[in-house]
Amino acid sequence: MNGRLWEIFLNSFTRILIPGLLVTIPLTLLAFFLAMIIATIVAFIRFANVRIIKDICRFYVWIIRGTPLLVQLFFAYYGLPILGITWNSPFVCAVVVFALNEGAYASETIRGALNSVPEGQIEAGYCVGMSYLQIMMRIVLPQALRAAFPALMNGLIGMVKDTSLASNITVTEMFFTTRTIVTTTYEPLLLYLEVAMIYLLFSSVLSKLQVYVEKKLNAQVGKE
Amino acid sequence: MIEVRNLKKTFDRDPILKGISFNVEKGDVISVIGPSGSGKTTLLRCLNFLTPSDEGTLVFDGKTYDMAHTSKKEINEIRKKTAFVFQNYNLFLNKTALENVTEGLIIARKTDKVIANKKAEEMLEKVGMLERKDRYPSQLSGGQQQRVAIARALALDPEIIYFDEPTSALDPELIGEVLEVIRQLAAEKRTMIIVSHEMNFVRSISSRILFMDGGVIVEEGSPEKIFGDPKEERTREFLKTYRR
Repeated sequence: MNGRLWEIFLNSFTRILIPGLLVTIPLTLLAFFLAMIIATIVAFIRFANVRIIKDICRFYVWIIRGTPLLVQLFFAYYGLPILGITWNSPFVCAVVVFALNEGAYASETIRGALNSVPEGQIEAGYCVGMSYLQIMMRIVLPQALRAAFPALMNGLIGMVKDTSLASNITVTEMFFTTRTIVTTTYEPLLLYLEVAMIYLLFSSVLSKLQVYVEKKLNAQVGKE
Repeated sequence: MIEVRNLKKTFDRDPILKGISFNVEKGDVISVIGPSGSGKTTLLRCLNFLTPSDEGTLVFDGKTYDMAHTSKKEINEIRKKTAFVFQNYNLFLNKTALENVTEGLIIARKTDKVIANKKAEEMLEKVGMLERKDRYPSQLSGGQQQRVAIARALALDPEIIYFDEPTSALDPELIGEVLEVIRQLAAEKRTMIIVSHEMNFVRSISSRILFMDGGVIVEEGSPEKIFGDPKEERTREFLKTYRR
């Protein structure tokens, strides 16, 4: 590698990493946290067969899963203001769209996990006098979340990378910054490789974290 | 103590219980025997409202319940006086043996934690599982899990315990330890209804036997009578298949 390229590489490394730490990561964590809350509630409602609300939840999952994430971002950021719904910042818009998007997918993961908990667990709860809500919160949900954990981590790692789409609605995250640098240095090969490496780094940290947490979760039910 | 009158249940137009009536007195150990599909398990499940009944009356401690139309409150009232031991144990998989026993006490009955733990340890001791109180179900054998399940049932101080084929899911060498615990409960004059295929066991501990077939109680009587001198042809046929 010649000196000029090496210099561009080093200079841009922190310039890309900083928006990564300040925008990509907070965007991912915030959106994922909200997504988990949405997903748990939606999964719960559909599992418990709550009338009418259940149909609303199904409609939500249908719409989100049936349309591209990029279209959802454009619709929310450029489309909704025409209806008078405006955003404080593109960041807020991105958080909401990513949360709603991941929430729909994750709700299906959690619903499947809830269904995988044996019916006998609920019956045993009833027989010791617990209420449906107590059984769900203390017995079924903890077991379901443990079963769903690897698939949910998949969603989280996917989201880290998907946040690059937010560059299209002017969120100054890693990919947005990289594109800006490319327009001044004309080194797309080097810089896109560089940003790919940083995404890979973030994902690898999460993968490590997954292995660690899975071990902890298994220890909680006495499995090696 | 308990009186069941004309209990009926149909699954998908397939009648499983066709009008079951019987009484349970305090201290009775009643065993329900009969071929698979005769409705024994459904009977127990209906008694504890795990399966809703189509028709029937339950008199429990002098209070009468319409089994087809019970409110949540009534169901809770009855379940408070009963305990259920399942064929496949159904221990809470995310709780230790001790927590399995205390869960109902602390969460449902709002018992003080210290008292609940003490009670749970007593019950685990009784079934010989105290040393393993911190194990999770996945770390216990089937027989050990079933003994914890019995401790969980006992901790609730039930007036009656329902056993739904408590040893059917166990490896043959583990059956004895569970039967031994149940035998001990019978000796203490605890009121129980046991659905079981362990004929020798049932014969030795029951105060009364109900033989069910095709959704009805075909014959009812003392173990000596049912096993020694059954009146009904169907009872004789059934017992023959067990004496090979």
